[in-house]
Amino acid sequence: MHSSPPGRTVFHPELRAALAVIGGVFPPTVTPDLIPFMRRSYASPPREELLAGRNVRVDDVEVAGWGAALEASVVRPAAGGSGAGILLLHSGGMMFGDRFSGTDHALSWVEEFGVALVTVDYRLAPEHPDPVPFEDCYATLEWFASNARRLGVDPDRILVAGASAGGGLAAGVALAARDRGGPRLCGQLLDYPMLDDRGRTPSTSAFDGVGVWDRVSNETGWRALLGDRVGGADVSPYAAPARAEDLRDLPPAFIDVGAAEIFRDEAVDYARRLWEAGVDAELHVWPGAFHACDIFAAHTTIARAMIHAREDWLRRTLAD
Amino acid sequence: MQELLGRLRALDPTASQGLRVIACFDELMAGRVGTDGLLSAAAALAGRPVGLRRGPEAAVVRVGPDGRRLAPADNSPGGGLVSDDLQLWIERTGEGEGVNDAIILERLALALQVRFDQSRAPAPRDLALLFDDTIDVAVRRDAATRRGLPSGVRVRAIAAPLFAVWRTHPSGPEDVVATDFGPVHAAVVPAAADVAASPLGIGVAVERDDLALSFRTAVVALRLADSAADRISRADDLGVLAETLADQPLRPRMDADEEAVARLAAHPWGIATLDALVRSTSVRDAARIVGIHHSTMTSRIETITAELGFSPVDGWARTRTGVALLRWRVRTSRVLELPAPVQVPAPA
Repeated sequence: MHSSPPGRTVFHPELRAALAVIGGVFPPTVTPDLIPFMRRSYASPPREELLAGRNVRVDDVEVAGWGAALEASVVRPAAGGSGAGILLLHSGGMMFGDRFSGTDHALSWVEEFGVALVTVDYRLAPEHPDPVPFEDCYATLEWFASNARRLGVDPDRILVAGASAGGGLAAGVALAARDRGGPRLCGQLLDYPMLDDRGRTPSTSAFDGVGVWDRVSNETGWRALLGDRVGGADVSPYAAPARAEDLRDLPPAFIDVGAAEIFRDEAVDYARRLWEAGVDAELHVWPGAFHACDIFAAHTTIARAMIHAREDWLRRTLAD
Repeated sequence: MQELLGRLRALDPTASQGLRVIACFDELMAGRVGTDGLLSAAAALAGRPVGLRRGPEAAVVRVGPDGRRLAPADNSPGGGLVSDDLQLWIERTGEGEGVNDAIILERLALALQVRFDQSRAPAPRDLALLFDDTIDVAVRRDAATRRGLPSGVRVRAIAAPLFAVWRTHPSGPEDVVATDFGPVHAAVVPAAADVAASPLGIGVAVERDDLALSFRTAVVALRLADSAADRISRADDLGVLAETLADQPLRPRMDADEEAVARLAAHPWGIATLDALVRSTSVRDAARIVGIHHSTMTSRIETITAELGFSPVDGWARTRTGVALLRWRVRTSRVLELPAPVQVPAPA
């Protein structure tokens, strides 16, 4: 057979099996000409399907973004609430997805922990390149913090969360909140975050053409966001948080990532640097896991362990 | 995953979800996944709880679509699938049977039986059997007859990735078949049948006893489909080369000629230029095919000659170059890795 690229680890058998279905909806290699396809295939399901059987209320709101109004939703428990809040930044490689794409687990947190969840349609690349997606997300945090009381949320108990591109945006928002003297976050939840436009880790090149989100997809996403600045000297750490030199005084972080995905090395490195900077961080590297397997194959043993560990951290971090 | 199957149908109504269910269980069996993992996958694919009872006295096991065990019910609901001492069912409440329920239960039953009876290897499925000429010819003939393939009729094997987009779907028997290059969607069609998919490999025409050869040439043709104009690649167009390549499609190592092609592939012009030289009868022709000046072609030929150690345009050297180019393409093809963009009509 082919010799595997260095650094490639094998997929867990249950996850490998799931790829037989996933590949038709989310191809491993996303090139720029696939962006229109991905926008259809990764769009969230109709609202009534999304919320079927869930005990939550959803209020659509308009949020002042970075020079434009954005559509957002506040999701709260049907009754009561714990006073904690989560700003959720959705996945989709900076180029696709909407505020309810891949948010099943986050909707469960509303029921499970009584949190108020704010999720926003930040504007997408390449039509809206950097800094628009990031600044839209940061503006949404400001909006959330200033409306917290009205939403039944204690402004000191808000954390920022996101997966993949949303994880990168969440890390950027945490950096900016520190630098700009913005809202004090009580945590940052970074699921397999997209942190580094330079694509120079061994894991970045180890999964070409397999799984979900390979090197080429990543290049497509970063180039859509940064254009010709990608990989160069002129990239802000808010766009690519791996470039941040100072990680001190950031909120406690939870980072999870698959051992069999391109973001493995940059996620591990970010956790290591957070510890070095004296920031509380919890890191999980899930064996045999491909990118976003908790979204696409939530029924598998590895994905369930991943979901469980994350919820455990949320329970501790959001406790009053 | 049931939601993903639904999306798949919405994105491409011609895509076969059943084949993906089959491929999913093939991988679960190959990975020796246990009972809970098999039930979880079935429930996730169905989007509903799945139940299992092994024998009338045994406890009922139920697993939900999120992979979690559910409280055992006292009774099985009846119906579903009964096979030996296994009873399996998908719990539906009034909404009627799901489109994939039958295939999910069938593949789940097979996987569980293999799991429970470790001595029992999964029986190769009919179509995979026809493509394996180490199997006794009498066994293959029985299988062919079961799949409606009589003797004395010319047929072809065809092979496509699971994510291929079909314009004209095959009417003959089809299945997911494992190959050295990964699982493919395989079918047997009449020799003159009109089939079209992107990408697609069409094997040589044979009688049913020689389907293994036709399948091997179909897989080789498929590997070459990414360099075919409409991504449909016919073994017939390769003539004697189809069988030559199919004898050992995946060679453990490259020979010197193929290694030279691999090095030339690093030049942006390398493969297109080699292709043009093999197809044309003169250097001038080749230059016209790739749209460059004659003198540029002469300098490229010098580079190629230096890599190969011989000039690619003389006599047998042209043949060596052509075969080396084909071998390299078969080896490095990404036709099974790169899902083609699905052409979908813009939403109304």
